[in-house]
Amino acid sequence: MKKLSILFSAVCVAAALATPPARAQTKPIRIGVPTAMQLQVGRDTQDAIKMAIDDINAKGGVLGRKLEMVVADETENPETGISAIKKLTADEKVDVLIGGYTSGVTLAQLPHISAAKTIYLGVGAASPSITAKVKQDYDNYKYIFRVGPIHAGNQAKQVTGFISGFIKGELGISKIAIVGESAKWVQDLVPVLKKGAIDAGADVRLTEFFDSQTSDFSPLLAKIKDSGAQYLIVILSHASSDIFAKQWHDARFPIPYGGIDVKSMDGDFCDRVGGKSVGEMAANFAVRAPLTPKTIPFFDEFKKRTNRSPVYTAFGANDAVYIYAQAVALAKSTEPNAVIKELEKTSYVGIPGMIEFDEMHDVKPGGKGPNFLFVQWQDKCAREVIYPKAQRTAAYITPAWIKK
Amino acid sequence: MLEILIHGAVSSAIYAMLAVGFTLIFGVARILNLAHGTFYALGAYGAYFFTSHLKLPLFLAALLAIALVAVFGVVVEKVLVRPMRRSQLAVLMITLAVALVVEQALFLTFGSEYRNVPAFVDAKFSIGGVDVGGQRLLALGVSVALIALLWVFIQRTRLGSAILAVSQDPEAANYMGIPSDRIFSIVMGISAALAAAAGVLAGPFLTVQPTMWLLPIVKAFAIVIVGGLGSIPGSILAALMLGYAETVVGYLISSSWTEIVSVAATLLTLVFRPAGMFGKRAAF
Amino acid sequence: MFGKRIDYAGALGFIAFMAALPLVFGGNYLIGVLTVSVIYGIWAVSWDFMSGLTGRENFGHSLFIGVGAYTAGFLNTKFGLSGWWSLPASMLVATLFALIIGLPTLRLKGPYFALAMLSGAVIMQRLMLIFWEQTGGEEGINGIEPLIRSQLGFYYFALAALVLVTALLLALARSHWGLILRAIRGDEATCQAAGINVTFYKIASLVISAAFAGAGGALYAHYQLQVSPQLFAVVTSITIITMVYVGGMASIYGPVGGAILLVLLTELLRNFGEWRLMIYSCTLIMILFFLPNGLIAPTWRRVKARLGRPE
Repeated sequence: MKKLSILFSAVCVAAALATPPARAQTKPIRIGVPTAMQLQVGRDTQDAIKMAIDDINAKGGVLGRKLEMVVADETENPETGISAIKKLTADEKVDVLIGGYTSGVTLAQLPHISAAKTIYLGVGAASPSITAKVKQDYDNYKYIFRVGPIHAGNQAKQVTGFISGFIKGELGISKIAIVGESAKWVQDLVPVLKKGAIDAGADVRLTEFFDSQTSDFSPLLAKIKDSGAQYLIVILSHASSDIFAKQWHDARFPIPYGGIDVKSMDGDFCDRVGGKSVGEMAANFAVRAPLTPKTIPFFDEFKKRTNRSPVYTAFGANDAVYIYAQAVALAKSTEPNAVIKELEKTSYVGIPGMIEFDEMHDVKPGGKGPNFLFVQWQDKCAREVIYPKAQRTAAYITPAWIKK
Repeated sequence: MLEILIHGAVSSAIYAMLAVGFTLIFGVARILNLAHGTFYALGAYGAYFFTSHLKLPLFLAALLAIALVAVFGVVVEKVLVRPMRRSQLAVLMITLAVALVVEQALFLTFGSEYRNVPAFVDAKFSIGGVDVGGQRLLALGVSVALIALLWVFIQRTRLGSAILAVSQDPEAANYMGIPSDRIFSIVMGISAALAAAAGVLAGPFLTVQPTMWLLPIVKAFAIVIVGGLGSIPGSILAALMLGYAETVVGYLISSSWTEIVSVAATLLTLVFRPAGMFGKRAAF
Repeated sequence: MFGKRIDYAGALGFIAFMAALPLVFGGNYLIGVLTVSVIYGIWAVSWDFMSGLTGRENFGHSLFIGVGAYTAGFLNTKFGLSGWWSLPASMLVATLFALIIGLPTLRLKGPYFALAMLSGAVIMQRLMLIFWEQTGGEEGINGIEPLIRSQLGFYYFALAALVLVTALLLALARSHWGLILRAIRGDEATCQAAGINVTFYKIASLVISAAFAGAGGALYAHYQLQVSPQLFAVVTSITIITMVYVGGMASIYGPVGGAILLVLLTELLRNFGEWRLMIYSCTLIMILFFLPNGLIAPTWRRVKARLGRPE
């Protein structure tokens, strides 16, 4: 009797040990998304990530595991941003973070991301300080990567290229004014821009900052007019680009403007200001043009799914998912250190260009990498690429009331 | 110089419209209505909604928006504010909560991106070499007209006298047969209508997005306090002072300093004249 | 000194509950939320001591919070001083600011006082942005070192600080200080006529309120590891006033509950995604409308009344 039960138990144990552990492999890979949920950038970040996840899952997932998205609202307040990171890392225990928008919030989140030892792929914040820490303190901050946008310093260089290549080079204008909102990334960027412009032979007649909350631009516009400038370079992000466009148009301001205008990157910006931005030139990271084989399919698929035109965070967010998936597949694990090694070697054909990281884990601009496209709003709110010349889709127009 | 004069006038006019409504409801009902900025926002959004979604002509859309906001103001007063009237802080907090709820409702309905309120006048005018948008001049003109109309209404009509009576002493007014509760509602409606009108007029050249209620109410609060709570002439004067101070600083120094100058001026005024310029005595 | 034994029991029960929460539910997320809520508690209690008792509603409390936090930030990042120096330093700086803004605004009351204090906070916020080269602009000061590295350790320290501050201010409120402050709220002229140095008490209560707010600010800086101009914002002051309101004005202990409740609510509502803030605001309206005397303090009073019978 006893021998039989021992035999029986032995058989059971053997059977149990022989069965492969079924559960472990099907645990999904969780992508945490800290983003400003109520804003367009947040909505597009989520939709772009969802697009990528659906695509990868349909093809079998990564290492046999499905991808899953968990979103947390970081708003534009550092306090909410920090608790969003804690929620995602400590509570939801995500494997990677993809998101970001306001540089101030991202900077606040960095030490908490580092403490959680979770990889972070930035898609929206442009401050160079974010990736500077990677070099300063690699061991603690190696988790931080930026897939987009190109950082403020590089943006300045691209705008300088625009000034020398187009404003001066083609339009023949050398007297310019530079105005920007008094946000730190702008304040860091403008001196670099000014120096670059002067080196390129431009005559910078006026440099001025204004408060992001400004609602009356008449004093500023008057100063610009008095300065004798013939082109206005703007650097706008959180500020009221809509008011600026409306007031510029209403006053039939005699000077055309263009530059970095984040809100103007929106496909419906022109409609939202009642067509009053016609004539403005704004830098875009990507438009529906064959920048890479991925660009047009992305725009079309995004429009089909959401009936909207994607804003800039969408490009980085979508690319980031594929880049991460690729790194995990190569590392054959989600363990951060292994994945980081693969991420550093990334060379991925993304939406705005080829995505490769420099020694500070920051996306490399220029050449095959993402570049600024200077796009102009034209009649009936059509958008045409004007610069670089190689990607030009239409001729430059001067605003209707400016005699040229 | 002329630029400062004209642009300062436009800023002051919008501020005056907001401040007068705010001080009116306080003067009459002792209500500090933090949802006043919300009426401004709803006016603008109403005009946007009726023109772009319902395709109504602009003038009709504007009137409809103003009327609906007036009704909304009356409802808020009757349902939420009146039960809390004993405590000024309670009224403040609940109107603030209303503002937050409406802001969220706007986010959820219309999204975070700014919307377009069409302008009545699209042309540009050149006055003495100064370029001014037509809509701005219209806003200036209509503001002045509406405030003047309000003044005449209060001074010359029976309802206006009733309002004056209630503002001086609600109980006594009640004894005299004036239904002070109904007067509160009417005044709230007028106040809301003024704010909504400001929204409709300024929407075309200022920003229209869900958080647009906060800055106007902070400014209106400051103007009304500096002018003296409850005093319409005080509010108008303070609105002019603020409007011109901001414009002057913007032109002569830099737009970065406008905010701090106006806030510092507010603080200084309070330190030297604790009850504002026209104090608590002058009701109207 | 504190009143009945039941109050002691209630306080101990609360402290035990707060101390046990992270041990039972665990996780850095919950500890993080609780720590932030406890710091808000310190701010709310300090506000209630001055504004709740004297009735002079301070709409610029964020000024003291902000200067305390920035002081801590500067001392740590520019001078390398540890957080233990920041705490007293922040209290000192906040006291200074309380004197700077408190003395000229002595005569003001009601909405006039509220606006004056609000203006003070807004001016400081603007200055932080204007002098961005020194203060980091809207990105603020980053890279502050934590006061206590252990998450749980920091939480217990903050909780202890809250208990200490609340006990201190409760004691003051129940002493002749509280009597005088409430009297000032009632009829200042009579107090003056009765020979009470009204000016002293007004300033002193503001200073005490400011000092603890500043200390809370320093704690905040060394926990979040960053400070930004948003700390000075109107929104911060209003959030704290709401917490006091929900907790029960002038109760001193009520705001503790108000703060913890509202911070927890904001976080718990995260599951509602985009609807989070809408539900939060609606809940707020409900509380403000149906419970005009607050939630925490009146509830405790009712509990006491019911339990008080057998005692």
